[in-house]
Amino acid sequence: MSLQADRGNMASRPEQSKLNRAAILSTILLGGCRGPQSVLSPAGRDAEVLASLFWVLLAGAVLLWLAVNGLMLFIAHLRPHPHSRRLAEALIIGGGIVLPVLLLTALLVFALREMPRQREMGSGLTVRVTGESWWWRVEYLPEGSETPIASANEIRLPTGSRSEITLEAREYIHSFWIPAFGGKTDMIPGRTTRMSLEPTLPGQYRGQCAEFCGESHARMALVGVAMRPDAFARWLAAEAAPAREPTTPEARRGREIFLREGCGGCHAVRGGPAQGTTGPDLTHLGGRATLAAGTLPMTRQSLIDWLRDPSAFKPGVRMPAYDHLSTADMADLAIYLEGLK
Amino acid sequence: MSATDLPQGAASSDILDSPMQGVWPPTPAMLAEPVDPDLSRAQAGNLRKAWETPRGWRRITAVNNSHVGKWYAMTALAFMLGAGVLALLMRVQLAVPENGFLDSDRFNQFFTMHGSAMMFLFAVPMFEAISILLLPAMLGTRDMPFPRLSAYGYWCFLIGGVFVLGSVLFDAAPSSGWFMYPPLATESEGIGADIWLLGLSFIEVASIAAAVELIVGVIKCRPPGMRINLMPLYAWYVLVVGGMILFAFPPLIAGDFLFELQRSLDWPFFDPERGGDPLLWQHLFWIFGHPEVYIIFLPSIAIAAMVVPTAARIPITGYSWIVLSAVGTGFLSFGLWVHHMFATGLPALSLGFFSAASEAVVIPTGVQIFAFIATMMVGRVRMILPMLWIAGAVAIFTAGGLTGVMVALAPFDWQVHDTYFIVAHLHYTLFGGMVFPVIGGVYYFFPVIMKKNLSERLGRWSFWLCFTGFNICFLPMHLTGLLGMPRRVYTYSGDLGWNMLNLISTLGAFVLAAGILVFVWDLIRPKGRAPHSARNPWDAGTLEWTHDVPDEPWGVRSVPYVTSRYPLWDQPEMLARMDAGRFYLPDAPEGERETLITSAVDAVPQHVARLTGPAWCTLVAAAFTGGAFILPTFKMYLPAVLCGIVAIGAIIWWLWTATARIPEARFKDAGLGLRLPLYVSGPKAPGWWAVFITMLGDATGFASLVFGVFFYWTARPDFPPPDAPHAALLPSLAAACLFLASWGATRIARGVNAAGSIVPARGLLLAAPILALAGAGALFAAVWLPGLAPTSHAYPAMMWALVVWTVAHVLCGAIMQAYCLARSLAGRMTARHDADLWNTALFWHFLIVTCLVTTAMIALVPRML
Amino acid sequence: MRSRHDSLWYMIFAPGIWALHFVAVYGWAATICAKGAPYGLARIGIAAVTVIALVLILWHGVLAWRQWDLLDDGDHVHARPTAGDRREFLGHAGLLLAIVALVGVVFVSLPAIFIGDCR
Repeated sequence: MSLQADRGNMASRPEQSKLNRAAILSTILLGGCRGPQSVLSPAGRDAEVLASLFWVLLAGAVLLWLAVNGLMLFIAHLRPHPHSRRLAEALIIGGGIVLPVLLLTALLVFALREMPRQREMGSGLTVRVTGESWWWRVEYLPEGSETPIASANEIRLPTGSRSEITLEAREYIHSFWIPAFGGKTDMIPGRTTRMSLEPTLPGQYRGQCAEFCGESHARMALVGVAMRPDAFARWLAAEAAPAREPTTPEARRGREIFLREGCGGCHAVRGGPAQGTTGPDLTHLGGRATLAAGTLPMTRQSLIDWLRDPSAFKPGVRMPAYDHLSTADMADLAIYLEGLK
Repeated sequence: MSATDLPQGAASSDILDSPMQGVWPPTPAMLAEPVDPDLSRAQAGNLRKAWETPRGWRRITAVNNSHVGKWYAMTALAFMLGAGVLALLMRVQLAVPENGFLDSDRFNQFFTMHGSAMMFLFAVPMFEAISILLLPAMLGTRDMPFPRLSAYGYWCFLIGGVFVLGSVLFDAAPSSGWFMYPPLATESEGIGADIWLLGLSFIEVASIAAAVELIVGVIKCRPPGMRINLMPLYAWYVLVVGGMILFAFPPLIAGDFLFELQRSLDWPFFDPERGGDPLLWQHLFWIFGHPEVYIIFLPSIAIAAMVVPTAARIPITGYSWIVLSAVGTGFLSFGLWVHHMFATGLPALSLGFFSAASEAVVIPTGVQIFAFIATMMVGRVRMILPMLWIAGAVAIFTAGGLTGVMVALAPFDWQVHDTYFIVAHLHYTLFGGMVFPVIGGVYYFFPVIMKKNLSERLGRWSFWLCFTGFNICFLPMHLTGLLGMPRRVYTYSGDLGWNMLNLISTLGAFVLAAGILVFVWDLIRPKGRAPHSARNPWDAGTLEWTHDVPDEPWGVRSVPYVTSRYPLWDQPEMLARMDAGRFYLPDAPEGERETLITSAVDAVPQHVARLTGPAWCTLVAAAFTGGAFILPTFKMYLPAVLCGIVAIGAIIWWLWTATARIPEARFKDAGLGLRLPLYVSGPKAPGWWAVFITMLGDATGFASLVFGVFFYWTARPDFPPPDAPHAALLPSLAAACLFLASWGATRIARGVNAAGSIVPARGLLLAAPILALAGAGALFAAVWLPGLAPTSHAYPAMMWALVVWTVAHVLCGAIMQAYCLARSLAGRMTARHDADLWNTALFWHFLIVTCLVTTAMIALVPRML
Repeated sequence: MRSRHDSLWYMIFAPGIWALHFVAVYGWAATICAKGAPYGLARIGIAAVTVIALVLILWHGVLAWRQWDLLDDGDHVHARPTAGDRREFLGHAGLLLAIVALVGVVFVSLPAIFIGDCR
C-alpha cells in the first residue's frame, strides 16, 4: 500500500493500534476532536464546510445558553426583586420572536445554499456501493467504462475532484458514511440513492454503517481512502486486473483448498474458476486494510480466526464456519488469501 | 351591537340556545348568602355516598379519576424504571470497547424496548395519568366526563404494557429498533415484531381514548364562568396535546395495520420486489413520531407553567403568548417529520421544507421559555423545590433545543444523523422537556394527590444527583457522536477515541439512576404517620389547591363560579363558599354522580351530566380487547376473534346500561337558583363531542391510507402495474349507492324520530344496517370478482387494505344503527331522548366520507393514474 | 353561526393556512420531482401557493389585530371575566399565531429560491 499521509489510521496491526491508542489519548487531552472517524477532522470539501459550520454553531449555542441561563440565575438568585413588566414583555418579544427569526433566517439560508453544493453531480468516476448484510459491495465505474471493477469494504477516491456515489441495498436499509469526507446517505432496498464526495486530503479514514441494520450493525465498517489522482489511477488499473497467481507452494495449496471447499460458490477471485457473487469479491483481498468490513485487521492470524468461526466476530454472519479444516490447511488457505494483493 | 356592549355572560351565542332556566350569572348577593351548616353537612353526606369508592378487592372496579390517575401514574413509573434498567445494562455493555456483557441480539432487544417503553409506556401515558389525575381538580369539576373510559384506557394500558415489556424477560422482545423500519422488522423472525405492533397498537387505542376524554374535559367541563381566556394554562396544553394525539397516532395505527397485514398475510406494502416501498413506513412512523416528541414535551412544560407563577407569586406574564406557543408548536410539529429522514436521499427541495419548518418551531418554543423568564422577572422568585427542578429543566432543555437548531440544518444533520450526537440531543430535550418538569410537578402536586408532603431533603438530593448524573452521562455523548460513534451499536473497537467518553457516560448513567432511585424512594416510602400537608402549601392561585384535606371522594364539594385566572388569589371568599356548598351542585339527593357541563368558549352552564360509576364491564372489555390484540401475536386468530366479540359485547353492555339514561325529571336544580336539563343530545352533549373527536382521529388514520396510495404513485413507476386488474366498476358503484342510502336513512331517522314519528324512524333504523351490510358486501365483491390478488403486488394489497378498513368501519356503523333501533324498541330512546341517534348519525357523517373516498380510490383513481 | 369573536376555530385559522400551504408545497414538489416534470413548474406552483397563503394570513392578521383592539385601552392581559376580554384575548392569540404562521410560510417557501433542481 502506498499511503503517504496516513493521518487517521484505523484498526490494523496490534502494535500500530497501541500506537494509535497513545496518539488518541494525547489528542483527547489536546482537544479530543481528532479520530479516524471524526466529523471534526475533515479530509473532504463537504466535511470541511460542516466542521467549520459546527464550530460556529457551537460558539453561538454556548453564548445563547449562557445568556438564557445566566439571566435566569440573575433574576432568581442575584437580584430576586421585581423588575419592570415592560422589560419582561420586551424580553418575550425580543428573545422569543425577533432574535430567533433573524438568527434562524441566516442559518436556514446558509444551509439551503449549501445543500445543493453537497449534492452536485460528480464528474469522472462513479462508484456504486451496495449495502449487504453486513458488508459493502463496491464497484468502480470510471468515466466511459461499462464494466464495473468489483471490490468490497473499502472505497478509494481521487482527491481534487467530485466523485459520484450511487447507493443501493440488498436486504436491509443501511447508511453510507465516511465522516472525514462528508455526510451520510441511506441505502434503501428497491431504491437507488446518490451522493457525491470530494476528498481533499490523501489518507486513510474510517466509515461505518449508520442506519441500524440488524445483528451485526456494529460490525459494518468500511475504509475510505483518498488518493492523489495519479496514484488513484494506478491503483484502479491494478484493481481492475485479475488476481495475482500464487507463487509459493503453500499459496498454491491454499488455492486448491479454496476451490475444494466451495468458496467460489459465494466469492469471486477474478481470473480463476471462483466466480460467486453472493459474498465480497476477494480478487485483491490482501490489499485491503481490514477483513470482514472493518471487523479485523488484515493479518494471516485474523484470516485464520475468521475462517474458523466468523460468527464469533460478526453475529448473524451469512458465511459458514470452516472449523473442520486442519491447522495446516487453514494456514495455507490464509497464506493464499493474504497473497491476493 | 358589538359583543363587548352586552351584559356579562349574555354575549355568547351559547346562552341564546341554552335551555337553562333561572339566574345566570349569579349575583354577589346570592354568593354571599351563608349556607345552613346542618344542610351543608347533610349534603356532604349525600355526596360522599354517591362518590364512595368500592372497598376491598372491588376497589379495582373504581373509576374515579383520583384512583385511575394514580394507578396510571404508578404503572407508567414502573414501566419507566424497567426501561431505565435496560438503559443501565446497555451502558454497562458500552462502558468498555469489545465488551461481552450483552450479545448483539440481547442489546438490540434492549435498545428497542428502552425506546418503545419510554415513549409508549412512560412518556405518553404519564401525560395521560397526570392529566386524568389533575385536570378535573384544576377545572373545579368532579371527575372526567367519561370515567369508565379512563378506567378502560388504563386497563388496556396495563395489559398491553405488561405484555410488551414482559417479552424482554423471555428473550422474545422486538429487536428492530423502536422505529421498526422494514424490511428489517418485516423480515425479522420470531414474534418480537408482532408483539411490538399489536401490543402497542392496543396502547395507542388507549391513548386516543384518553385524548378524547381530555379534550372533552377541557371544552365541556370547565367551571361556570371560566371563559376560554381564564383557563389554566395546563388546560390549554391538554387541549393542544389532545388534538395532536388525534392527528399523530392514527397515521401510526394505519401504518401498524399495513405492517401487520404484511407480516401475517404477506401483503407486500413494504417489499420492493413486489411493488412496495420501505419508505412508506418511515413516513407514517415519523408523521406520528415527531409530533409525539411534542406530545411529550408540551404537557410537561405545562406543569412548569403552573409552577412558575406560584414560585414567582405573580400571574403568568404573557398568557396569550404562551397560548400562541402551545398552539403554534402543536401545528408546526406536524411539519417536521422528514427531519428524521434527512439521510434517505429525498430531493433537497423536500428536505428544505422540513428543515425550514424545523427551524420555525424554535420560535414558539423560545417564546415559551422567555415567557417563564419574564414571569420570574416580574415576580419575586422563591426557589421552592419544584422550582428547582423546573430551573434544572430549563437549563437542560435549552441545551437540547440549541443542538436541535443545529440538527435541523439538513447538511449538518447528514454528519451527525444516527450518531451519539443525536442520542445526546434527544435526551437533553426529553429530560429537560419531560423528566425534570414531571418530577418537579410530582413534588409540586403531591399534596393534592396524596395529602402528604414529600421530603425536601431527599428532593434536593435527588435533584442534584439527577442533574449532575444526567450531564455527566449525556454531555460527553455530543463529542462521542462527533467522533463518529453511530447509534445502536452493541460494541465498538477500542482505537477510535471513544473509550474514555463512553466510560464517563456509563458512570454518569449510574449517578443519574441513583438520583431517580432517591426520588422513587421518597415517593413510595410509607407516609402513614406523617402529618397531612397544608391545603395550599405553596400559596398557589389555581383551583386544584381547593382540594380537601383529608381526602374526600367527590372532587369538589361544590362547583365554583370562577371569574379569574388565579381564583384563590383574586376571589378570597371562594374557598369557604366552595366548602360550605354555596356554589353549584352541592348535593346529590338521588345518589347519582353528577357534574356540570358548560359551553365551550364562555363556560355558561348547559347541562347536569350523570357520570358513570364503578363497574366490572370496563375490566371485562379491557381484558378481552387485550385478548383480541395479543392472541394474533401467537397466530391464534379464532380465539382472538372470539375475544373481540366478547369485548364488543361488554362495551355494548356498558353503553346500554350506563349511558344516555333517561332521567327522572327534565330539569334539575343545580344550585344558586339555576335549573339545568338532565338530558341533552347533539352538540351540547359531551358524548356527541367524544364521537366527533374520535372520528377526527379516525379520519386521519384513513387519510394516511389514502396518502399511502399517492405515495406509491409518486415513488413507484409500476403503481398501478400496467396490466393489473382494477376493482370492478359496477359493484363499486352499487356499494357507494348502498352506503349513501344507509347514511341517508340514519340521518332521516334522526329527524323523523325527533319529530315524534317513532315507527317510521324504527323502520329506517331497521333498513339502514341492512343497506350498510349489503354495501359492505358489494365493496368486497368489487375487489374480489376481478381477482385482485393482494399478495402479488402492493397495488392490489393497498386496494384491499382500503376495503378492509372501510368494511370494518361499516360493520361498526351497522352495529350502532342496530343499537339505536334496539334502544328505541326498549324505550330507552325516545323523541326527546335521542342522544344515541345523534351520535350514530354523526358517526355516519364521517363514515360516508370514508366510504365514498374508498370507492373512488379503488374504482376511479387507479384508472386515471 | 358563531362569530369570530367567540370561536376557537378562527384563532387557529392562520396556522391552519400554514399547514395547508405546507402540504400543498410538499405534495406539489414531490409530484414534480417524482414524475420528472420541469423544475420551473415546481417553483411556479410554490410561488403561487405561497402568495395565496401569505395574503390569507395577512388578511386574517389584520382582522385579528382589529379584534384585539389594543389601542382602545392598551390592555394586553385579558384576564377579566368579560366577553370583551375574551374577544380581545382570542384576537391577540390569533394575531400572534398569524405572525408565527407568516414566518413559517416564508421559511417553508425559501427552499424553492435557493434549491435549483430535484437532486
